[in-house]
Parts: sequence; C-alpha cells; structure tokens
Amino acid sequence: MTRTLWRDHDWHLIHTDPQSPALHMALDEVLTHEVGAGRRPPTLRIWEWGRSAVVIGRFQSLRNEVDGEAARRHGIEVVRRVSGGGAMFIEPGNTITYSIYAPLSLIKGMSFQEAYAWMDAWTLEALGELGIKAWYQPLNDITSEGGKIAGAAQAHRGGAVLHHVTMAYDIDATKMLDVLRIGREKLSDKGTQSAAKRVDPLRSQTGLPRDAIIDHMVATFRRLHGLSDDTLRADELAQAHVLAREKFTTPTWTGDVP
Amino acid sequence: MHGEYKMPGGKLVVVDLAISEGCLVQVQVSGDFFLEPDDALHAIDAALEGQDAAADEHMLAAAIRAQLSPGVMMYGVSPEAIAVAVRRAIDQGTAA
Repeated sequence: MTRTLWRDHDWHLIHTDPQSPALHMALDEVLTHEVGAGRRPPTLRIWEWGRSAVVIGRFQSLRNEVDGEAARRHGIEVVRRVSGGGAMFIEPGNTITYSIYAPLSLIKGMSFQEAYAWMDAWTLEALGELGIKAWYQPLNDITSEGGKIAGAAQAHRGGAVLHHVTMAYDIDATKMLDVLRIGREKLSDKGTQSAAKRVDPLRSQTGLPRDAIIDHMVATFRRLHGLSDDTLRADELAQAHVLAREKFTTPTWTGDVP
Repeated sequence: MHGEYKMPGGKLVVVDLAISEGCLVQVQVSGDFFLEPDDALHAIDAALEGQDAAADEHMLAAAIRAQLSPGVMMYGVSPEAIAVAVRRAIDQGTAA
C-alpha cells in the first residue's frame, strides 16, 4: 500500500436530516466498513442530531463517566462510540459533528499525532477563514486562543480510518456538568464558572449561525479536496438500523466497560 | 478500589479493582485513551487479573506487555501508565 493524497480520492458528501444518536454510532461503523471494502468512495458526513446525547469513548467506564439518573431526568440518550477518546455532551444545534471515512492509505506511515492533524487541516483552514486562529493541540484537540473548540477521535477498521470530530457551537455547561461525572470531578477545584471557560464555542467566536459555519466548512473541503454531493444508500441505512437496534442501543454494548 | 493517572502528554487512565487473598481481581481498566484493535482492552484486564497485589509498577507493566499481541497500537496510554494507575488503586492513600 502506498501513501495517497486527498486529491487522489473522489470525495463524497453526506448530510441528511437529524438522526438518533444510536443510528449515528451505527452509521460510523457501517460507512467505515463500506469505504474499507471499496463499496463506497471516501466520504465526509455531516451529522444532524435528532436528540440530546452523551457519547462516551470506546474505552470509558459508563458509571465513572455518566450520571445515569441525571441523563434520564434530562431525556439524554447515552451511547458508546466505536472510537476511543473522551465523553461528549451533545444537544441538537449546539455542536457541529462530522466524520471522515478514508482508506488507510491516506495516513500511511504517519504517527497518530500526524494523522489527527492531517485529517483536520481543512478544518483549521476553514476556521481561519472565519477569523478564528485555531490549531491542533495533541493528542486530539482543536483549540484557539479563547479555549478548546473541538475534540477528535480515530479508529481503524477493515482497511479504513474513521476520523470524527465534535465541535462546540454553543454549550449549556450547567447541564453538561450535571450529566458528566468526570467533568464534575476534573473541575471540582475550579467551580462551575470555569467549566464554561474551558470550552470557547464557535457561536461566541464567530457570531455566525451554525448552518453558515457548516456551509463554509463544506465549501472549504470542496475547494481543497474536491467533493460530490451524495446520499446514504438504502442498504447502508438498512444495515445501520439493524446495528443501532442490535448493538448500539443495547446495555451489553453501552455497558461493555461498566 | 479506584485509581487514576493522567499520563504526561497522554490521556487519563482509570483502574477499578478489588483484592482477594493478596491478588488483583475484577480488574477494569478504562479511560479516554486510544487502542487498536479495541479488544486489546480485554487482554489488558486479563493480564492484570490475578497479579500479586504487592507487584511493583515494573512487574505490572511487564505483565501487560507480555499479554499484548504484537500489532496492538496505543495512543495516549502505555503499559507503564496503566501500571501507575493500578498501583494508585491498590495504595488508595496516593492522590490520583
């Protein structure tokens, strides 16, 4: 396998109506496999969230990370994703989330650190064009002078790399701290006030609507790497619905690291 | 028993375990780190299960290393960092 460049690939875009958190987890697994098997071209997928969620990392302990009672009280779905990294608190409209599914050749020979920065170079450029000086903070954060903007995670499956990123557009820090235990402990010596300061969301940094930021990011990706508009295939969506039902909504998977 | 260790330049490693007759049992390693392939986590837990509670960090790290398949990749975590979190869980007085 030789190293490939972004322009060596025919990139496709998927951006659909809001979907449930479990279906998003399942789509990441299905589309990574489809790209790895060569049945789907390398793809950028922009997520729209159907409901609030806590998404924990593949190796995080459910009970150590999440206050289950608080999550139920707020009507928040708790799901485990296929990649490592930390817990994310999601409310529809408050985050910008995307996934990139690419052949492993795109990051061949790179260290993990290089591969993260490489997959998000277009994002840093897009943010720069919006007036935000952002940079990669190893291992897996995108940050700015105002504070952290986003967290990334990668997973390798069946010849493909999944790289997904959640960016804070707006944030309800009080609710987040109610639901995430680690957030509460990590900040216990600093107080709730500084929790909001650790993350500096895109809304306050740009003054732009969320859709306008997404449109700009897609345009930047299209200009740099090329991008054709696409949709989910019926068989991909069907596979994802089965996986969401049989894996990502089950206590066995969500509690795999109890 | 619960221990945490933030690896310098890396991620948080969390260990929950119990001690029975001087050995580690019910060992669960967790955290916001990255492992490929993902089932390596269960191999790490299995490597620690039954280890002597008096084992030092070096011995614990060696036990983990011996259990890992050659292709396993770790990012933000290492056998040594996990061993530190294990020792902290055992020596509960140590600050996490």
